Amino acid sequence: MIEFKNVSKVYDNGSTALDNVCLTINDGEFVLICGHSGAGKSTLFKLLTHEVMPDSGTVIVDEFDVTNMKRSKIPKLRRKLGVVFQDFRLLPNKSVAENIAFALEVIEEKPQVIKEKVAHVLELVGLSDKANDLPEDLSGGEQQRVAVARAIVNRPTVLIADEPTGNLDPNTSKDIVDLFKHINNFGTTVIMVTHNMDIVTYLNKRVIELKDGRVLSDNMRGAEFNEA
Amino acid sequence: MKPRTMKYFFKEALKSMRRNGLMTLASISTVALSLFMLGVFLCGVINLNNMAASLENQVQLSVYLKDGLTTDQIMAVGRQVKAIPNLKHLEFVNKEQAMKEFKERLGDQQQLVNALGGINPLPNSYVLTFENPEDVKATAKLVSTFQGVESTHYGQDIIEELFRVTQIIRIGGIVLIGFLAAATLFIISNTIRLTVFARRKEIAIMKYVGATNWFIRWPFVIEGMLLGLTGAIIAVLCVGEFYHFITMEVSDSLAFFPLVPMFPFFYQLVGCLIGGGIIVGIIGSTISLKQYMKV
Repeated sequence: MIEFKNVSKVYDNGSTALDNVCLTINDGEFVLICGHSGAGKSTLFKLLTHEVMPDSGTVIVDEFDVTNMKRSKIPKLRRKLGVVFQDFRLLPNKSVAENIAFALEVIEEKPQVIKEKVAHVLELVGLSDKANDLPEDLSGGEQQRVAVARAIVNRPTVLIADEPTGNLDPNTSKDIVDLFKHINNFGTTVIMVTHNMDIVTYLNKRVIELKDGRVLSDNMRGAEFNEA
Repeated sequence: MKPRTMKYFFKEALKSMRRNGLMTLASISTVALSLFMLGVFLCGVINLNNMAASLENQVQLSVYLKDGLTTDQIMAVGRQVKAIPNLKHLEFVNKEQAMKEFKERLGDQQQLVNALGGINPLPNSYVLTFENPEDVKATAKLVSTFQGVESTHYGQDIIEELFRVTQIIRIGGIVLIGFLAAATLFIISNTIRLTVFARRKEIAIMKYVGATNWFIRWPFVIEGMLLGLTGAIIAVLCVGEFYHFITMEVSDSLAFFPLVPMFPFFYQLVGCLIGGGIIVGIIGSTISLKQYMKV
């Protein structure tokens, strides 16, 4: 379970990113976070990964109190979270399989286990035949699927995605969110930041709308949110 | 740490050394040059120390006796001198013996002795050495008050001057070593900074997938260590060659100047330089990591 309790954050330049935000996201939920640029979406994202700390309030991710944890525990927290970005962030000189394996190598997984897990996620994202290709040889949608594969290969309990369809055309975007739905069906919590309204309608999941650092609405599903 | 992981760290470190070839070369050369200068300096200081110590051990107090003393009077002075605590050795040198030694020292300039016209102006004397050479000054003062003593003489002035010089060299050495170490740290940390910059994407991904801080740091620390080690090895070889050359030269032309033999002293020097190189490398990389990688 993820909880934000009265979380506020003002950056050094004086801009208010979050203002007394309270949210609860249950295990296995699929949540969309919407809002204009500067609404606080990215800060929400960074609070979960312990990249920024709030000025006040508490952030809970499962058994971790993110706002009050030892630095040495941060890697353990991050292993629970799979992260996907708008710009994919693949390593250009590593093959598809190596990019995914990298996420396991750096947490010192056994080579045999790495091999099995990589093969498994490649199948899940439908890229088994591209295992040895370099990222530059793939389309945008395929690159994002590699990024998703990398995010989930370690079996995180939560998958967080920051504008994952921002660089993709509508059809490819649908493929990616279908993949997210598929992952969500396995029980992984998915939190997705987006301002693509077609996607919001298409998914028809819980929508949290942020404006100027506050929660504007959190009681609608995708389709009604779009109509409102 | 698992051997597999260690292998990964070394592979990454070597890879990035190759990738930033020019900076790697610059770092290694800086370390080598700094440590070479340090090594030469240490050789100098150690030899000066050695020389100072050996001169210190040669400190003698000559007690010149008045002319015309009877044998009894001379022996009376000898008894008084013998009672001085801390005395290591006491020797009586009579006029004739002193003249003989003087002639020997003059070598082929015997005409100087002839100019004296057969008169021996040299006094009878006692020559004293001490367990603790620093006492010589006080003892000289005491002995000059004894009856029958004309004057005393010792090389303390020269010794004090020598110690002053070695002190200056030692302090200057520490300052120089400080500067060299700072320059080396700067260059190494810059090299590692470039490496960190080149690998910032990988580092970000490593952070996101939950690699531990040390897992991310190790390759950089190893890189710094390897830069330091390589530089140190080059420096050690150069200092060795240099000292060997100097020893040969000096023993050829300045045989009276006793240099500290190369072994075993060189082993200590090797330990110092290699240890220094490695430590500087590790500190250098740690500094730049702290600045550039908030993990």
